[in-house]
Amino acid sequence: MSSILLQVIVSGLLIGAVYALFSSGLTLIWGMMNVINFAHGDFVMLAMYTAFLVWTAFGGGPAASVPIAAVVLATIGVLSYFLLVRHIMRGPMLAQIMGTFGLALLLRYSAFWYFGANFKTLPDTLLGPPFVFGSIRVDAPRLLAGTIGLIVTLSLHLILTRTALGSRMLAVSEDATAAQLMGIRPEHMQAAAWALAAGATGIAGALIATFFYTSPTVGETLAIVAFVTVAFGGFGSVPGALLAGLLIGVIEAVSAFMIGPVYKDVIVYTLFVLVLWTRPQGLMGKA
Amino acid sequence: MMRRALPLLIGALALLYPLLVSGSAVYQRLGALVLLSAIGASAWNLIGGYAGQVSVGHAVFFGAGAYAALAGYAQFGMPPIAGAPIGVGVAILVAALIGVPTLRLSGHYFSMATIAVAELVRVLVTNWEWLGGAQGISGPAIPRTVLDLSFTSAVPYYYIFLAVLVSILFMTWRIEKSRMGFYLRAIKDSERAARSLGVAAGRYKLYAYMLSAGLTAVAGALYAIMFGFVDPESGCGILISVKMLIMAALGGAGLLFGPLVGALILVPLEEISNSLLGGKGAGLTFVVYGAIIVVIARFLPSGLLALFTGLRSPRKPSATEPSHAA
Amino acid sequence: MFLQRGVVAVLGAALLALGTAQNGVAQQSVRIGAIYPLSGNAASAGSSSKAAIELAVDLVNHGNPDLKDVPLADGKGLPGLGGAKIEVIFADNQGTPAAGQNQALRLITEEKVVALIGAYQSGITVTTSAMAERHGIPFMAPESVAANLTERGFKWFFRATPVAGDFARAYSEFLKEQQAAGQKTASIAVVNENTEYGNSVASVIKEQFAKDGLNISQVIPYSANTTDVQPQVLQLKEKNPDVVIFISYTSDAILYAKTMKDLNWKPAIMIADDAGFNDPSFVATSAGLVEGLVNRSSFAVGKPGSVSAVINDLYKKKTGNDLDDPSARAMQGMLILADAINRAGSTEPAKIQAALKATDLKASQVITGYNGVKFDDKGQNVLASSLITQMQGGKYVPVWPKDKAAGELKLPYKGW
Repeated sequence: MSSILLQVIVSGLLIGAVYALFSSGLTLIWGMMNVINFAHGDFVMLAMYTAFLVWTAFGGGPAASVPIAAVVLATIGVLSYFLLVRHIMRGPMLAQIMGTFGLALLLRYSAFWYFGANFKTLPDTLLGPPFVFGSIRVDAPRLLAGTIGLIVTLSLHLILTRTALGSRMLAVSEDATAAQLMGIRPEHMQAAAWALAAGATGIAGALIATFFYTSPTVGETLAIVAFVTVAFGGFGSVPGALLAGLLIGVIEAVSAFMIGPVYKDVIVYTLFVLVLWTRPQGLMGKA
Repeated sequence: MMRRALPLLIGALALLYPLLVSGSAVYQRLGALVLLSAIGASAWNLIGGYAGQVSVGHAVFFGAGAYAALAGYAQFGMPPIAGAPIGVGVAILVAALIGVPTLRLSGHYFSMATIAVAELVRVLVTNWEWLGGAQGISGPAIPRTVLDLSFTSAVPYYYIFLAVLVSILFMTWRIEKSRMGFYLRAIKDSERAARSLGVAAGRYKLYAYMLSAGLTAVAGALYAIMFGFVDPESGCGILISVKMLIMAALGGAGLLFGPLVGALILVPLEEISNSLLGGKGAGLTFVVYGAIIVVIARFLPSGLLALFTGLRSPRKPSATEPSHAA
Repeated sequence: MFLQRGVVAVLGAALLALGTAQNGVAQQSVRIGAIYPLSGNAASAGSSSKAAIELAVDLVNHGNPDLKDVPLADGKGLPGLGGAKIEVIFADNQGTPAAGQNQALRLITEEKVVALIGAYQSGITVTTSAMAERHGIPFMAPESVAANLTERGFKWFFRATPVAGDFARAYSEFLKEQQAAGQKTASIAVVNENTEYGNSVASVIKEQFAKDGLNISQVIPYSANTTDVQPQVLQLKEKNPDVVIFISYTSDAILYAKTMKDLNWKPAIMIADDAGFNDPSFVATSAGLVEGLVNRSSFAVGKPGSVSAVINDLYKKKTGNDLDDPSARAMQGMLILADAINRAGSTEPAKIQAALKATDLKASQVITGYNGVKFDDKGQNVLASSLITQMQGGKYVPVWPKDKAAGELKLPYKGW
């Protein structure tokens, strides 16, 4: 294999891990509550601006911005749950799309109003020079985001499958009435799921901000990728999102390199429709 | 007495509206825009509202109508309206092609699949030179004959759109009362139960989808005739699909007048807030727009008409239903 | 039943709103409508253009003693109309052709503007200018470059900006000069975003270069809203061309600058076609990564005291940014309109149209690098032209053609 192709694959894996990172919050909400959050991309956008504010306020890098963004976004997540999502969950699925789409516009243009339309970036020297392994180069921000992406998605998976909180949340998502009979308050568990999901999204946004541009409309670009990743991997499956993220990252990179960047979306969407057709529950979703 | 007087009054108001606002070209046009949006949302309502299959990819069909109208002009010099039937045919054909595999999916899976197909089509159109590629296609900038339907005043558009909307609503009303309407509602409530009662659910969903697609193409063609331009984003962009859905949901999906009520609220809101706030350039238009949608979703999750039709008692939290795939 | 009452209430409210919509027309000032993307993806560019147009109007209305050569910049308003002031009504096209056309109608019929300027994106200029044409109102397009805009037989459409053919000729001449000076230009790559802007410029460049015997060895179209540009940069790295021409919007321009550094690849000559690479956001965030980047611009800041330098200082004081090229062209468009209205001595659209047709501005009277302003029968400014600039120490400096240069061209490309 030529060293350039190897570099293409490595780059694809890294961006794929980032896709997995910012999709895991979406899959969690989707799987736990059967709610599509159309404002997910805008949650990522808010986390990116948080990272930017942390840097302009006191020069803080990811070490400061990641925990701060996690807390800020978890708070926003819980607020969204209690003020909006809790109510629209009672309505039809359309109400969820309508409500979260309205929330997306509200968040996007509040950021627009406050920060202006200009693109912002963090200094590219924030995390030092790229790592060089032979002929392969990996820039520090992406390596950090990819690594933390793996850690966060794995921890989310462990929280859901190995802790008491996780099993309670799953119990609520399987059958809220039965869970209630066992003394679990569904609303608390659902709020916890929103906190967890939005917190993970906060971590994702703060990390993406280190190598991506930030603008009020950046969430739109990221949201579609997240939707496809989540449906590809299976609703509610965090390992599914990880697998799908990595796959999409590599497929995009390789097809863009071999066939042409214009066609990478065609290939990803076609593949996605084929997967849905043959395996509607996604790669790792439960039927 | 009132029962008979009100529909008459509304009908008269709808017919006379352009004359009532004859002093303002902007308000005449606003009327036409409301009707155009109501046509699109009513078309969507057949599959998304009545049959409960939430398509987020109707822009494909809207684009089929819009592109057929203008490609016919650009390539063969036909008046745009002559391309409209071709667009409707293409939309129905495409709906059959997309519908057979995707309608087997249920709930969010169907929605996601329609988003993916629509994005796929948008990317393909962007790279399709015959359809103008990324640059889009323009209509006849200066009308050659009256057949080009290119008017300075919005009044002719208003009456064309009104006639189309009334026909669609009439058709929808007939379906609502027919066996098909009954089947669609049964499928919406529970597809499994409908099937166990012997309803050929797959077939009726496909019929509704194809009909909805054809009518959406009509909306697309009318849009292209009025604005005289279409490009991949304004023809097949995801925002087109979402707007149809939001309009129907806001008024009341699955109700005859739901989409019209949604359009009556959202279109003036969008236009007036853009006129008042847009020039300041602070994004306030969409803050207001988003906030109003959120508030309505929060307090009236089944749409505004639920206020009047007794649908006020909400369904049980959907969290109790396991997410199910086909 | 209740439903119907709701409908009546809504219709009634709409009708009530009507009554208040008619504003009193106090025609002390000349009203011009400006339609720009003030929300949506292009809002960054739209808000810069808005500030530049406001500055142009401020010059006409209040003047500046350092700008004697610029017509009307003496602060006496429009002498041809008894010193009337200009008032600009801005409208947001929201990045959609539909909103652009709706707002055009409002500006024409309700705000009673005598001319329109806009609308940044070519596709939106198509629909907005059609509305102006139907109502017989002059339309000034200061920055939309799509070729077909001037091919529609419009009588009220005027375009001040150079178009893709002009850029392509400038690049071709520039590269041939470098070739003669001993630079390697054997293989050229074109990387373009694939909406209307990138596709049309790329195809004109391909035609022009083929005619002039320049070898384009690689063309990489990509979608502008991409999340990752590494594959494109790696494609370049594999073929290693001598010259790369980027045709990109702001977000992708920022990603290219970062990614080329990360993957450690650069060509001997790197050219950017204006747009994203001239956006103040790009310069603010990425100037340090693209030292020596050759760019196309119609505006470049000259020596201190020159017209461009004075205007740039004023703009910087107003916005905190340097004046970028598309915004400078918007500003120029507004000054051309003001000049024409002044000569028309009337706010009658037909007289303004006639005055626009008679426009004859010299190079010294324009703020951009145009050779002047003169419209042909189709409404295209035949004296529109481009400068070639180079990123030197965090600023773009004009380096070509020689007679407009303020600095020496430094090759090869340095990058970071």
